Amino acid sequence: MPEGSLCNKQPIQTDTALKMLLGDTGGKQYYQEMKSLDVDSGLLWDTIQKTCKSRIRTWLNICAHCGMCADSCFLYRINDCDPKQVPAYKIQSTLGEIIRRKGNVDNAFMHMAMETAWAKCTCCNRCGLYCPHGIDTGVMIGYLRGLLYQQGFVPWEMKIGAGMHRVYNAQMDVTNEEFIDTFLWMAEENEEDYPGLAIPVDKEGADILYTVNAREVKHYPEDLAQAAILFHLAGENWTVTSKGWEQTSLAMFAGDWAACKMQVESVYDAMERLKPKRMVGTECGHAHRATVVEGPYWAGRKDGLPPVESIHYVEWLAEALRTGKLKIDPARRIQEPVTLQDSCNYVRNHGLKEITREIVSHIVAPGYFIDMAPNKEHNYCCGGGGGFNGIGLYREQRNKALITKRDQILNTGAKLVLAPCHNCWDAIRDLEETYKIGIRWSFLKPLVLGMVEIPDHLKPEE
Amino acid sequence: MFKKILFATSGTPACDHAARVAFDMARRYNAHIDVMHVIGVPTRGFSQVVVDLTTGEQVVLDDNYRDLVKEEIRVYYDHQIKPSEDCAIEVAIGETHREILRLARQSKPDMIVMGGSTGASGAYSARRNITGSTFQRVAKAASCPVMVINRPAGSFRGGFSNIVFGTDFSDNADAAFAFSLDLAKTFDCELHILHALDITGCQMNTFQPQDDIDDHIRKAGQQIRFRYGSKMGGFKNYGMDVWEGIPFVEIVKYAREKHADLIVMGHHTRKAGEGGNIEAELGGVVEQVILRANCPVISINRPVSDKRP
Repeated sequence: MPEGSLCNKQPIQTDTALKMLLGDTGGKQYYQEMKSLDVDSGLLWDTIQKTCKSRIRTWLNICAHCGMCADSCFLYRINDCDPKQVPAYKIQSTLGEIIRRKGNVDNAFMHMAMETAWAKCTCCNRCGLYCPHGIDTGVMIGYLRGLLYQQGFVPWEMKIGAGMHRVYNAQMDVTNEEFIDTFLWMAEENEEDYPGLAIPVDKEGADILYTVNAREVKHYPEDLAQAAILFHLAGENWTVTSKGWEQTSLAMFAGDWAACKMQVESVYDAMERLKPKRMVGTECGHAHRATVVEGPYWAGRKDGLPPVESIHYVEWLAEALRTGKLKIDPARRIQEPVTLQDSCNYVRNHGLKEITREIVSHIVAPGYFIDMAPNKEHNYCCGGGGGFNGIGLYREQRNKALITKRDQILNTGAKLVLAPCHNCWDAIRDLEETYKIGIRWSFLKPLVLGMVEIPDHLKPEE
Repeated sequence: MFKKILFATSGTPACDHAARVAFDMARRYNAHIDVMHVIGVPTRGFSQVVVDLTTGEQVVLDDNYRDLVKEEIRVYYDHQIKPSEDCAIEVAIGETHREILRLARQSKPDMIVMGGSTGASGAYSARRNITGSTFQRVAKAASCPVMVINRPAGSFRGGFSNIVFGTDFSDNADAAFAFSLDLAKTFDCELHILHALDITGCQMNTFQPQDDIDDHIRKAGQQIRFRYGSKMGGFKNYGMDVWEGIPFVEIVKYAREKHADLIVMGHHTRKAGEGGNIEAELGGVVEQVILRANCPVISINRPVSDKRP
C-alpha cells in the first residue's frame, strides 16, 4: 500500500489533518499502516543525488573503522557495548547502505533505519568530537532523518511536531493571540511585586528581541514571567514579537527541512520587521541550534547568520551578571552541592562552556559547585535530546539512555542540577521520576530571581 | 456575594471536606459552581503523554479520556450534584495551580474553594504538616478570595453565622477585613476580630515582663479600634480581642471558643516552590491555621473588587 490515511509521505499541512493524527492515540493506526508503507526508491535516490554532497560522501568513504567513535557514544556504552551501537556502524548500515544500494531498500530496512535514526542517536555530536577525521555521525543521522521523513518513516510524535510548526509556526497548538495574552497575563500577575512590569510588543529598534519555547506559553507561563522580570530588573530595552516568537523546531528533530525553513523564516521576518539590536532566546538548546546555528542555512542566507546578532539566554545572563545589570545578593546564593548540565546544542556545538560556568561563579557560593565528569564539551547527552524524550515507541530505549546522566549526577554527590535547556530539564525530571535518586533540578531563571537584588527604584511601595 | 464558585478538586477523598462546603455554598446561595479537575501534568517533552495525577499512570490524552474523567468526577460527586444545580465540570492538563488560575482568569469566580493539600493520595504525595504548593501558588496570584478546607469542617453546619477575622494590621489584612465585614453584613453574622500577639520572638525562658505584654495588648486593642472600629458603619454585631501566644494557636483556639464557621485572614505568601521543586515552604500563620482549623479558612491577598458579574 503506497499511502495510508495517517501514515504516508504527505506532511501535515492543516489543523484538520493534525487533529486526525493526534486522535490516533499513541499512533496505533499510524504504526500499523507503516508496516505496509511502500518505499519510493526513485524519489529516495533522486533526493540523495541532489542533496547528499561532498562532505557526507567523503565522511562515508574515509571512515577508517578505527572504533574511536564507539567509546565516545553514550548509547554504545550504556547498551553493553553492543557493536550495532557503534556510530560508524549505525550510519554505514543505514545511510551508507541506502547509497550503496542506490535507494533500493524495502519497508523492513526503513523500519530499521527509523529506529537507528531516532532511538539510537540523539544527534549529540560527541562522536564527531573524537573521530580523528572529524566525521560527525550525528550530522549524518540528521540528514538520514530528512530522507526518512520524506518517505513517511518517521515516529508519530515527530510527524505531529513537524505538523504543528507547519500549521501554528510553533511546536504546540498555541496561536499568536494566546502567546501575547499569556505574556500579558503574567505581567498582571506579577505587577504588584514588580511595579512597572510591562511587556513591550512589536517595539521597533529595541535592544533585545526575546523568543521563547511554545510550551512555556502552554504549560509553564511562569518561565515567561521570570524572563520578563529579569529584563525589567536589568533595565533592558526589550520586546517580544506578535508573529515569529517561537524559537524551537521539532521539525528539525523530525527531518522536515521545508518546515524547518518555514519556521526559522517566521523568526527572521520578525527580526527584519522589528530591527532589534540583538535576539535573545529562552533557555533551550535545540531552539538555539535551529534558529541561530542551522537556520540560516535552511533559509539560504549566504553569510550563514541570522539577520540580527542572536545569542543564547546564558550569554545574556552572563553578560548581565558581569556588567552588574543584575546584582546577586551573596547571602542568597546556592549553598548546597550543585552540578551543571552541559547541553549539547550550545556547549559542545556552539562553544558556550565557559559562559555557563561564569554564571555559576556568580550564583553558587564558593565550594559548592561540583562539575560532572566528563564535562564541558566532553559531557554526555542528557539522554533525551534529538526528540528522544517525546517518542513513545522508543520510551524504553530512552529510559535506558538516562542511566548515563543519572550516574554522572550521582557521582558528583549534588542535590541540585542546573539545567538551562528544556530538553535536558525534561530528561532530568524523567530520570528522577524513573530512578528516584533524590535530586532537584532547575532552569537558571527562577534561581537567579530568588537571589537577585531589586534596584530601589523598582521596589514595590511599602 | 457568591454568584459563581470555582471548586478545584483532585476528585479524591483528600478534597471531600472542601466538596461538602463548596456544594453547600452553591446550593445555599444559588451560585453557579465550576468543578475543576486537573488531570495531569504534561510530561515527556512535547509528546502527547500525560501523567494522570490520580492514578499515577501515563496516559495518552484524547477526548475520550477527558470525557471519561469528567464522568468519573460527576459520579464521584453524584450525591451532591442534583439535576437542578447550576454546575459544570471542567478538566484540564497542566500544572495544577496554573490551570486553576487560568480558568479563574477567564471565568472570574467570586471565590475559589479547594482542599489544603492532596495528602497521601495520587502520584504526587505531599507531607501532612505543610500546605500544598498548589494552594500557596493559587493564593498568591488569585484575584478573588481563596477558601481552603483542609480538615473535616466540624464547625461548619451550612451557611456562615460566626466569622473570625484574624489580623496583623497589614494591607492584606485590611482587604480581608473589608471582605469579612461585607460578608457579615450580607449574611447577618457575628464578626469576631482577633489580633494574635506574637510572643514567640523571645529567648527561651526569658519572656518579656508581663507589664510589657499588657502594654502591647493595650496598644493592639487601640489599633483594632482605630483601623477597623471606625469602618463598621452601622454594623454592631462584632467583638474585638487581643490574645498573646503563638499566633496560629491563638487563632485556632479563638475560633473554637467563638464557634466560628469561617476564618478570614490576609495572606502573605512566600515565594512558593520553584522550578522542578514541588516542596512547599513551611511557615506563615495562615497556612498553619488552614492545617489546623475546624472550619473553612479564607485567604485574601488583595482587595476584593466590588464589581459583581
